[in-house]
Amino acid sequence: MISHQFALVKREIWEHRSLYVTPAVVGLVLILTGLTALVFASGYQEIVDIFIVGAQNIAGEAERRAAMFAVLIGNTFPFLFAGAILTIFYTLDSLYAERKNKSILFWRSLPITDAETVISKFLTAALAIPLIASVVIIVTHLLVLLIAGIFISVEGGSSMFLIWKSAPIFDFWAGMLVIMILLPIWFSPFIGWFLFVSAWTKRSPLLMASLPLIMVPTLEYWVFRTHLVADAMQTRFEQLPMFKGIDPEIFFNERELIASADAISLIGIIDIGNFLASPQMWAGVIVCGLFLTAAIYVRRYRDDS
Amino acid sequence: MTSLVTASNVSKRYKAVRAVDNVSFEIEKGRIMGLFGPNGAGKTTLLKAVLGLTDCEGQLSVLGLDPFKQRKELMRNICFIADVAVLPGWIKVTQLLDFMEATHPNFSRTRSEDFLSRTKVRSDAKVRELSKGMVTQLHLSIIMAIDAKLLVLDEPTLGLDIIFRKEFYSNLLNDYFDGERTILITTHQVEEIENLMTDIMFINDGRILLDSTMETLPETYVELSASGEDADKARQLGPIYEHDVFGKKVMTFEGKSKERLAEFGECHTPSVADLFVAKVKGAAA
Repeated sequence: MISHQFALVKREIWEHRSLYVTPAVVGLVLILTGLTALVFASGYQEIVDIFIVGAQNIAGEAERRAAMFAVLIGNTFPFLFAGAILTIFYTLDSLYAERKNKSILFWRSLPITDAETVISKFLTAALAIPLIASVVIIVTHLLVLLIAGIFISVEGGSSMFLIWKSAPIFDFWAGMLVIMILLPIWFSPFIGWFLFVSAWTKRSPLLMASLPLIMVPTLEYWVFRTHLVADAMQTRFEQLPMFKGIDPEIFFNERELIASADAISLIGIIDIGNFLASPQMWAGVIVCGLFLTAAIYVRRYRDDS
Repeated sequence: MTSLVTASNVSKRYKAVRAVDNVSFEIEKGRIMGLFGPNGAGKTTLLKAVLGLTDCEGQLSVLGLDPFKQRKELMRNICFIADVAVLPGWIKVTQLLDFMEATHPNFSRTRSEDFLSRTKVRSDAKVRELSKGMVTQLHLSIIMAIDAKLLVLDEPTLGLDIIFRKEFYSNLLNDYFDGERTILITTHQVEEIENLMTDIMFINDGRILLDSTMETLPETYVELSASGEDADKARQLGPIYEHDVFGKKVMTFEGKSKERLAEFGECHTPSVADLFVAKVKGAAA
């Protein structure tokens, strides 16, 4: 079963090259953006000098750490955004394309159950995409920091002091990996929904997947004058239970900042206990399970002849 | 003899249409069964039921398993080419072999590579870069490397040129069929597999018109060419089908003595294609 899943997920990566090409392109764009910014900055020598001197002598440890934290965040968010879009397109295509190009007839001639196949597509979306992205993110961070370090050294600053001792890279990466595992679980109802639409629809998976997301809340409001579905979807994006409440003041209040350099931590704001105790999270997992079951059922029982 | 496939009163309905209508038959081990029928006769539906790709009414047992409920177990010992060119275009030949090796317990990579080495299929090529004939060779190389008890082929050579078609069947006979294995095959090109089959089945409108071994065909069916009065006399014996060829009446008889018919004209065993036409048109008349 596990070795099957490994082979099946590998097959998905072979088929959908975008699973690794997309994060690689995002990484490349970020590195090039960083390079361009530094080339641009080198035109303003005085400002760069003041900045480096200031960062080394006047700024506190917490400020330097906060600045590097911001650099890491800035070089991570584009991946999350691209990853979300990639996941939507991948899941919508995964069970639709095999029917369209008829290869489903070949896949179904092998001793693999429909459940194994659908689960492998879910694992690709929920596990393989985030893990591939994480590797690319870490490589991108290293390269961006390396380039910035070289720039600082050339400009006469200490890259060791300003970058490698200030950037909370291990804390950030560990936190990022946890988030990369928890985020797909939190958003799994959507993954399940897209996979189900992909297995079920005969045309335009994107349209078929998005229409009900708009229609159902509208109908609900027309008929019952309630907005439970809309609320459920909205809170899914607004209240992520894996994060502790963050006081934004911490980043703006200088005294607080100096007092709490250790507080600038990604791991520090993650709350796995709260995530696991969240009824919404479990409700989402059940909804996802129902959609996956429906997708398996459709793949198994649908007969297009 | 042991039956690999046993169907009794199998039916499959699509809304109002009965694609397969109360069909019963057996396929024994070591046989090559040819299944023929016009388009829409129910062949593919019947094969899908045998392969567990669709559920059906009645009793159907394949290798002692319920094909729909025990599809995964069944697919370890059965392989099929359901249609031409269903291999995914994006996959590379090596990837396909890797995947087969990882997922199929009865797959031998060496056998597949050995077969491929005798073709022009390059191992680093993607399926979409191959010609239709080469894709079929690739598919065949996989099928032949699976140690399966039953091979099901649905129009395996459709759209291939004559050389590939001939090669396909000669490979199948020489490299695959060993008397232990069983093959169920459908094709429109009846004459290509006429000398290959051991058993034959005709299906039309979801019903079986003929289910026979090839050995007993000449004993049961006779084609008579006659003219004039002889033709009229022969007609009294109730041919199942009659048509004109160069001014002569050609009649197909079922279960009539050859000696008796020889009194009216020239007798011979009908070809499978002719018998097929006689059965389908005769049944419709």
